[in-house]
Amino acid sequence: MTTTLATARTAPRDPLARYWSRNRLEPYALVLPAMAILAIFFAGPALYNIALSFQQLSLFDLGREGKWVGFDNFVEVLTDPATGHALFNTALPLTIVTVAVRLALGLGLALLLNASVFRRWKLGWLVRSLVLIPWVTPPVVAVAAWKWLLDARYGVVNQLLVGLGIIQQGIPFLAKTNTVWGAVETMLIWRELPFVVITFLAALQSIPSDLREAARMDGASELQIQTRVVLPLLRPVTAVIVMLTTIWTFNNFVYVWLATRGGPGDYTQVLATQMYTASFVDYRMGSGAAIGVVMSVIMFAFALIYFLVVFRERDGVR
Amino acid sequence: MSVDVGTSPSARFAKDLAVVVIGLALLLLLAFPFLWVVIISFRPDSEIFTRTFRLITTITTDNYAKLLSGSPFPTYLRNSFFVCITATFFAVVIALVAAYGFSRYRRFRLRQVLLVLVICTQLFPFVILITPLYAMFFSLGLVNNFLSLIVSYIAINLPFAIYLLLGYLDTIPVELDEAARIDGASTLQVIFRVILPVAWPGVVTVAVYAFVAAWDEFLFALTLMTSDENKTVPVGLASFFGEYTTQWNLVMTASVITTLPTLILFMLLQKKLVSDLTAGSVKQ
Repeated sequence: MTTTLATARTAPRDPLARYWSRNRLEPYALVLPAMAILAIFFAGPALYNIALSFQQLSLFDLGREGKWVGFDNFVEVLTDPATGHALFNTALPLTIVTVAVRLALGLGLALLLNASVFRRWKLGWLVRSLVLIPWVTPPVVAVAAWKWLLDARYGVVNQLLVGLGIIQQGIPFLAKTNTVWGAVETMLIWRELPFVVITFLAALQSIPSDLREAARMDGASELQIQTRVVLPLLRPVTAVIVMLTTIWTFNNFVYVWLATRGGPGDYTQVLATQMYTASFVDYRMGSGAAIGVVMSVIMFAFALIYFLVVFRERDGVR
Repeated sequence: MSVDVGTSPSARFAKDLAVVVIGLALLLLLAFPFLWVVIISFRPDSEIFTRTFRLITTITTDNYAKLLSGSPFPTYLRNSFFVCITATFFAVVIALVAAYGFSRYRRFRLRQVLLVLVICTQLFPFVILITPLYAMFFSLGLVNNFLSLIVSYIAINLPFAIYLLLGYLDTIPVELDEAARIDGASTLQVIFRVILPVAWPGVVTVAVYAFVAAWDEFLFALTLMTSDENKTVPVGLASFFGEYTTQWNLVMTASVITTLPTLILFMLLQKKLVSDLTAGSVKQ
């Protein structure tokens, strides 16, 4: 009696359990192709990059082993004032400013678009389509569009400013040092804002509505509900957004390269464009690799500090 | 909604209307740069250099004809479609097999380590890979060969694809596999005959994101494809607007065509794509 019950209970799981115990290597075989590609593509080049950073190697001498020069590339890169300039540009105008502006605009827009009227009037589809338009635009197209919009003579922005009498003559935004960062930041923020908006929107929509209702019952004003109930609940998603956008932007190459090539002069040079220039314009692969190592160290330190801070907050130490 | 005591219906309607008008106005402003690109792409040469702002002038499709018959742009399009579709296909297949391994075998050694490594690659600065990768592909004789670009795009997309598919496969009951196993199906048969048809929605999302990421990619394509006839669309388009561009209407036409594939995919599947993407960052 007991034996039949036991077999009856285990019978349905039995065939597969036996199958698995006979195939201990199978999970490894299944994940192997993916892991091999990731190893070849990430681990291999990352290690090779470190080796390259200790060599002197011209782009034309690839295939041969470079001359080992110890820390020469690092000494050269770290004592070059251009590196400090590029690091400052990467950190402040490129990353911190655009992440902060994206957070502020993204949160504001998400709070506005989360209003129930958009759902009641069945405008969700239209809202989502319009929000997504900058994001479906490839970065290259975003730069092309803004270069034309910001053209000194025929660009809409200048024509509008001149037409309104704010300025006398069109400004070549990308060629002047006091406007070029604003122009590059505008391109980047425009293209990358939708990600922040839709992530905040999704987080807002996952907040149960009875939470707001309860606050309203207790006599909280609309503003109090937003600042005391909604905003604290957005902390985790904000942490994720800040980390992702910071890492993506710090390493970004395409906006600065296509908008200004690091110019005028070297004014908007960032680490990514400096690295590309060292390797593929000046053909000094060793220097390019050394800049890559410096960038990875900075990003690694950022990620580490960020995780420590965020996790300490999660644990309630605050 | 039931607690709106003290607000008359008309006052409420006015408030709703104000929110909708402000919201849509801001969104139109946000979308304007791309709408402007579309408008300029239909504008004749003679009318792009106007001194004052005009929204609509003569409409012509000449730019499209010129771009598609008298320029190298169709070659770039063919290259991009070939590279992106091939890379997407292999990324999805390889990721599906790996995700199945991670989802169904919960206790194999290294599982946690490998999964953490996969997620860490998401935070990896791709840009620093370009110098060593160029050197590696060069020594393999693969610079200016589509294979190097395809492998790169597979690798870039694998981590995200594995992570998202793992989430999908975890929601599919194991009983489905068991039934197929009892019928004597092999693991690969289970994955592609049983799991794939059920995991289809997740696979579509992953495929769209992989395709779009490859389609938009600029740096690898710029560096690895050295001859003009092997350029992909983003690099080809970038070469159209050097420092002294005068044919802005052609640049805008090329921009519209470059955006069309991603635009179409997102307009068709927007609700699903957005909710699948944000699911990861919202749930903690």
